[in-house]
Amino acid sequence: MAAQGGAAPSTYTPTPTKKTQRSPFFSDSDVDWLRPDGRGFHQCRPACGFTFNLLGCCDLIVFTYAGMFSLSLLSSCAFFSVLYSYMKGFFRTGAVNSAAGSAYAEFGNTKVIVSVFGPRESKKAMVYSDVGRLNCNVSYTTFANPARGLGSDNKEFSSMLHKALEGAIMLETFPKTTVDVFALVLESGGSDLPVVISCASLALADAGIMMYDLVAGVSVSCLGRNLIIDPILEEESFQDGSMMITCMPSRYEVTQLTITGEWSTAKLNEAMQLCLDACSKLDKIMRACLEEAASASQD
Amino acid sequence: MVGLSLGEKHFIQGGIDQNLRSDGRKRDTYRPISVETGVIPQANGSARIRTGATEVIASVKAELGRPHALQPDKGKVSIFVDCSPVAEPMFEGRGGEELSTELSVALQRCLLGGKSGAGAGIDLSSLIVAEGKICWDLYIDGLVISSDGNLLDALGAAIKAALSNTGIPRVQVAAGASGDEQPEVDISDEEFMQFDTSGVPVIVTLTKVGRHYIIDATSEEESQMSSAVSVSINRKGHICGLSKRGSAGLDPSVISDMISVARHISEQLINKLDSEISAAEADEDEM
Repeated sequence: MAAQGGAAPSTYTPTPTKKTQRSPFFSDSDVDWLRPDGRGFHQCRPACGFTFNLLGCCDLIVFTYAGMFSLSLLSSCAFFSVLYSYMKGFFRTGAVNSAAGSAYAEFGNTKVIVSVFGPRESKKAMVYSDVGRLNCNVSYTTFANPARGLGSDNKEFSSMLHKALEGAIMLETFPKTTVDVFALVLESGGSDLPVVISCASLALADAGIMMYDLVAGVSVSCLGRNLIIDPILEEESFQDGSMMITCMPSRYEVTQLTITGEWSTAKLNEAMQLCLDACSKLDKIMRACLEEAASASQD
Repeated sequence: MVGLSLGEKHFIQGGIDQNLRSDGRKRDTYRPISVETGVIPQANGSARIRTGATEVIASVKAELGRPHALQPDKGKVSIFVDCSPVAEPMFEGRGGEELSTELSVALQRCLLGGKSGAGAGIDLSSLIVAEGKICWDLYIDGLVISSDGNLLDALGAAIKAALSNTGIPRVQVAAGASGDEQPEVDISDEEFMQFDTSGVPVIVTLTKVGRHYIIDATSEEESQMSSAVSVSINRKGHICGLSKRGSAGLDPSVISDMISVARHISEQLINKLDSEISAAEADEDEM
């Protein structure tokens, strides 16, 4: 488990600022309640600390993935090295060789891979457009959920991904063309959409698409009187409400915000602050990942 | 799609800057809303809302079903929106699908509360007939007949009106069914239960054009927006859902400001809507 709010960008857990303000959410009987993975309520999933068990599970997924989608041997090897040498990082760019840009993200049990293709010529049926188009697709594998699903496209997430990224990309730099962003959730472990969005913005950066800023996404769940950041699947299925923020941390602009459930003003502000704080930390990790990839390619 | 010339665009933006919009309204004024309830006799409840040239119908149908295994003490509610090509030719075929999904998802987010069912505008435990065995499934369908902006708010209002118009038949559960057996039910066709709709939130969409935000935007005004935030607020002033449209990013402080403006406006809207709904129901009773 990562230490809370360390100076090194090892995790994007927000710094516990106004402790006194937060106390109402942690009073009385709620204190003895623990999260299934032993984290604090305001702690994000750690950057490092995979157990052996988890790693074995990853291998399985990589094998199945490579088999199912007939990735080239080369790219699956690259993928392996990602997992072994980058156990400490959440993100890794360049996971798929054939794509213009790609990224892989792993947060606890949530594992996501995003490929970016293009900019390439828009389909003939499309009307002329002097700004570029962004085409987003989020799909789940059949084995992503505990119960075997259909592995279908998720229309809601696809449109949310589009809305979250749209504002960050300089669409006018590639007129008449389309950039495709394909996200695949290998394993759903909670907070899928924010991870997909952060991973997709990293893949776009890897593809060299011009952007105003990276987009980082974080979600918060509300369970009873507690606010829980970066919820896992079990927590999400019992949540009373949720909030997801995707923002461009350097510009301090929110590109997408969704809220469900009933929220009082105080709680709303608290959750927003928590999310924004975590977003800026997540941004540092994403940048570090890009810098590392850039310096590695120079060597 | 709205095709506007440069001059028209400037006219709309300039009007909003000066707090005088093209149709003479101020930035925070609604178009007159007219509510009609009981428009679809086959449904358990229905309502039609007209505001300006925007016209929507919401219908509520109730069917008996089985509650979800994880929540045996709660009924189920689903919301779907259909954008008819009657409203706009571009909705033909699959053209309206994207907008339909967007509206459905936004309404579900705004009205149905969290996954555990907390914060829902509709009391889900009132839909239960026999715990773990039988519950009411509510199917709420929205239909866009004519589209001139502000569809989400109109649909939200129509659903609120349709729910207050809804009567669910009283059900007698035959005693004696044991274990896993589905009990026999007797559906009354005379006695109806009415919903308590005081907790159903209203949706207020603030459309940001330039530096200002406007409410109840027409489709011309919507074409000039940089972003729009739809907030659903209940009578207590609590936020029940929020979704954002439009590509431009917003400063967090602007969002907080928009939420507080929406909260202020929602009070007026709830009162206005409640009086319109009761007037519409009085009309219906007279007929």
